[in-house]
Amino acid sequence: MEFVFSEENLRKIENILKKYPVKKAAVMPVLYVAQEQNGWISTEVMREVARILEIPEEDVLGVATFYTMYHKKPAGKYHLQVCTNVSCMLRGGYAVYDAVKNKYGLKNGSVTDDGKYSLEEVECMGSCGTAPMIAINEDYFENLTPEQALAIIESMK
Amino acid sequence: MERIVLPEIENLHNIDVYIANNGFAAARKALLMSPDDIIDVVKKSGLRGRGGAAFSTGLKWSFMPKSTDKPKYLCINGDESEPGSFKDRQIFEFNPHQLIEGIIITCYAIQAKSAYLYIRGEYHKWVNLMETALETAYARGFVGEEMKKTFNTDFSCNIYIHKGAGAYICGEESSLMNSIEGKRGYPRVKPPFPAQNGLWGNPTTINNVETITNIPPIINKGWEWFSAIGEPKHPGTILFGVSGHVNKPGVYELPSGTLLTDVIYNYAGGVPGNKKIKCVIPGGSSMPPLRGDQLEGIKMDAESLRAAGSAIGTGGIMVMDEDTDLVKVLARIAKFYYHESCGQCTPCREGTGWMLKLLNRIVNGEGSQRDIDLLLSVANNIEGNTVCALGEAAAWPVKFMLMRFRDEFEARVSPHINLEPKNKVHSMRHTVNPIDKVEI
Amino acid sequence: MPKLTIDGKEVEFQPGQTIIQAAATVGIDIPHFCWHPKLSVSGNCRVCLVEIEKMPKLAISCATQAAEGMVVHTNSEKTLAARKAVMEFILINHPLDCPVCDEAGECKLQEYTYKHSIGESRFTEEKQHKEKRVPLGPHVMFDGERCISCSRCIRFCTEVAGDTQLTFVQRGDRVTINTFPGKELDNPYSMNVTDICPVGALTSRDFRFNSRVWDLSATNSICQGCSKGCNIQLWVKANKVLRLTPRHNQEVNSFWMCDEGRLNTFKNINAENRINGPHLKRNGGFTRVSWDEAFSAAISELKGFSREEIAYIGSGFATVEDNYMLAKLAKTVSGTKYIDAVPHLVPGSGDAILRTEDKTPNMLGATLTGMQGGKSIEQILQLVSEHKIRALYVIDEDLVSNYPQFAEAIKKLDLLIVHAVNENATTQIAHIVLPSASYAEKHGTMVNIDGRIQRIRPAVTTIDADRTLDGLSLSRLDKFGTEYDRWGRSDKIDARPTWKIILGILSAFGQRSKITMADELFHEIAENVPAFRGINYDTIGEQGVVLNINKTTSVYGEKL
Repeated sequence: MEFVFSEENLRKIENILKKYPVKKAAVMPVLYVAQEQNGWISTEVMREVARILEIPEEDVLGVATFYTMYHKKPAGKYHLQVCTNVSCMLRGGYAVYDAVKNKYGLKNGSVTDDGKYSLEEVECMGSCGTAPMIAINEDYFENLTPEQALAIIESMK
Repeated sequence: MERIVLPEIENLHNIDVYIANNGFAAARKALLMSPDDIIDVVKKSGLRGRGGAAFSTGLKWSFMPKSTDKPKYLCINGDESEPGSFKDRQIFEFNPHQLIEGIIITCYAIQAKSAYLYIRGEYHKWVNLMETALETAYARGFVGEEMKKTFNTDFSCNIYIHKGAGAYICGEESSLMNSIEGKRGYPRVKPPFPAQNGLWGNPTTINNVETITNIPPIINKGWEWFSAIGEPKHPGTILFGVSGHVNKPGVYELPSGTLLTDVIYNYAGGVPGNKKIKCVIPGGSSMPPLRGDQLEGIKMDAESLRAAGSAIGTGGIMVMDEDTDLVKVLARIAKFYYHESCGQCTPCREGTGWMLKLLNRIVNGEGSQRDIDLLLSVANNIEGNTVCALGEAAAWPVKFMLMRFRDEFEARVSPHINLEPKNKVHSMRHTVNPIDKVEI
Repeated sequence: MPKLTIDGKEVEFQPGQTIIQAAATVGIDIPHFCWHPKLSVSGNCRVCLVEIEKMPKLAISCATQAAEGMVVHTNSEKTLAARKAVMEFILINHPLDCPVCDEAGECKLQEYTYKHSIGESRFTEEKQHKEKRVPLGPHVMFDGERCISCSRCIRFCTEVAGDTQLTFVQRGDRVTINTFPGKELDNPYSMNVTDICPVGALTSRDFRFNSRVWDLSATNSICQGCSKGCNIQLWVKANKVLRLTPRHNQEVNSFWMCDEGRLNTFKNINAENRINGPHLKRNGGFTRVSWDEAFSAAISELKGFSREEIAYIGSGFATVEDNYMLAKLAKTVSGTKYIDAVPHLVPGSGDAILRTEDKTPNMLGATLTGMQGGKSIEQILQLVSEHKIRALYVIDEDLVSNYPQFAEAIKKLDLLIVHAVNENATTQIAHIVLPSASYAEKHGTMVNIDGRIQRIRPAVTTIDADRTLDGLSLSRLDKFGTEYDRWGRSDKIDARPTWKIILGILSAFGQRSKITMADELFHEIAENVPAFRGINYDTIGEQGVVLNINKTTSVYGEKL
């Protein structure tokens, strides 16, 4: 499938490019813009990013696969990220994670059949003082019990 | 008690409130000083980096070459990915303009025209907050070309926010620079050091968010004032993030040298159910863990913690009560470093996975006595042999946990050598005498 | 020059040199996987860690610059411990499949494991699994499990081939190498990655599973793919060339060669259509005859044409010696009037790395020994078509295929004598076909585009040359095989070097020579051709020497 940036996003990219002395440096923010538009980083997305930034496609591939926040396959409408690192683990992070897993029949990296939810067991999100936590797409929900976590997820329409 | 980085002022994130509280006065003052004088003040203040290594900030700045045609850069490390650390996000949220002012002063001190504030990608909310604050500061003429007028000076600098995308390693300063350059976040081989060969090959200084936020008050009130706070060798306040088994987890800004027990019991409210503490990691998950029965008298500053057999790190204090399964905790820590190893250099790429596999076996009750010694040996073999400090970060918790809580691990393993290794072919020489297999 | 001490030895170094480079100058080989003298420093394998006095930690010798007074220990207890640790780490996820791995026998990992590892593994976990048998491109196969992530191949593509075709993907021990989806590792130099890969992760699809490398003999030679004259090695088993690999020559090709040269310049040696023994055309068909019969036939035919009626066609594919002898034959028998070599220019086929547009390895050498650099070849063929030239003596060129427009005219020649390695359109219509030894079957010299004269050497035996008696390189099988072994039985072609064939013809003409060896002939050439004065096979050696010629005024320079 062809991928082209929307006019609005092309303007965004123009502004991003102003931040750096070389185009290559814009690859991470431009990948974000692409992911926002496309939902995930497909081969076509990487090709277009490489074309726009005038860098080898291979460099885009290397970067996209290095950083975990670029989705290399379509994520759910709600990407559920549960931290199970030590500070969360000590305060019930795994209970939250298991509750989400069981409720939606998900495992790490999988998506529900209806495409609504995807699950990722994530590393420390910087919510140690407000553990445990779950991030849904870009938003943090902190100080949770498993029940509260499920209620929040359910409220997502 | 005075708070320097996160003062108790409501709505300080609002630029008007910040200005009303002496905001940007330090920048105004600093821009009238010579860059060398600023570096001198920061040196004398004794300010040390808050990102983990506790290196003298002024000294670091002085490494920047004075005569060079190359552009100079400042990077501000807000990658904040060390488990147990959640301090910088408080600054982004509650005191962004003091950070911006600190950046301006630092840029001037090292004569950098551009600063990149690297914020971890997961911090969408805080990236947005910082971006808003920065836009306001630009609009008010405190940053960028306009600052020349505002401060009546020849100097101007730009601040850009670069958002990470999920990689702990980018908190390592050379990975951070590679990441800004749009590359895989591989640490660079040092030397050359950033002050000579940093961003795009140019002289670069990298400081932690908290470190930079300390700069405006130091300029305002003088180095004498700052150096008198807390421990003389490691002066100032430190943002201690307390997490785990405490009643009131959170970030506490306290003078350096505050007793660890004070932080845990007085500020963080003690341990739920009044349980005993089994283990404390005092500086984020890569620092050596301390035994709960040896916490008395330990002060929270670089030298005291080193003497106590650990390190200040990022000041992230993780508290574990007496019921904690330390084998599981260590396995979880190992999983983190395995997940975050960039894979560039051999010992870390291979060793982190090995340690995790060994620990998982011990957690599952399939470990043997031999595995404990092997774990120690693997950790020792990683330490000191890697490109960057992630090697030590991965090795230390394993090494020191095994040294200080060996009994916990020994209780979980069988004294006999496990004869059913998973990888049978490869392990043949350990398990089967090949001669027995020969049929004549 | 500044000095440092390595293992107690005082070592002089050039400022800017790293420890590993300084050590190499005195023969201390510090183990290394990722470091390569012609690639940027990556510092990732960590096997070159050494102890430096007054430094708190071990340092990698590939990235640490030598400094005055530095004291380095490459075999201290600390260094060895680190080296063993790194070796163990590299091996834990490695499949240890040496018995089925093509790299075995020339594998850095295998060598270092013998030299520097503890000799056993303490790793009893499941290994990390990755993709195996990934065709990265038309010529290169990738095995992700064998890969040690040294990044040499990635750096080669970007820094030498000038085309970023490979990248690391993923991270940690999931890191592997890949091309962009839908793209291939297909740059003209792609196969060099199989040479610099320190393990068996990248292998040649052409050579894969053809032979264990220790069963091959290796012979130093020169690539025949173009006028660059890349230094190579010919690898032979059972008298068949199985692969070519680049040989280091900093002045010519560094460590590299192009895929075209590597793959397309040796298969004709083993081909079915080799010409075996001299042949005369009789009654419309070819009859194999003895060499002496062929020589007599040739000389008696040649004598029948005046200098206006015969042309001699040399070749940039033939050696200096071959072309020299052709010119000598022309002069002696006919009195030279028409003589030239066939140009093989392919515009656009060159690049700034190694490949040149002149597809012959020795056009300059042919020109220096009497050919006209291809300037007069069209004129000669024109005269052939006008039937003014009625006889042609051609060495190692397929005139008919190269000049199809003159094919009919060539067919009408009264005499066509051809030296050829393989059957081709020209040999089909020749009257006398003389089997010439290929470049892999003879000694000789060639002059590359930069005026460097270099040697080729026999790697394959013919009936004319014996492997042991004539000093050809021997493989293990050559040394220890018997006639009862499968590999000991190899068919030998009855072919001779062109210069030697012409010696035979001249001998039949009554001009006997004492020369029996190529180096003796070269001695004569050096005495007669100014460009080669003072040079002999020994001075040319393994790396060649640059001739003292004014390139700009040579015919070659003007024309090509």
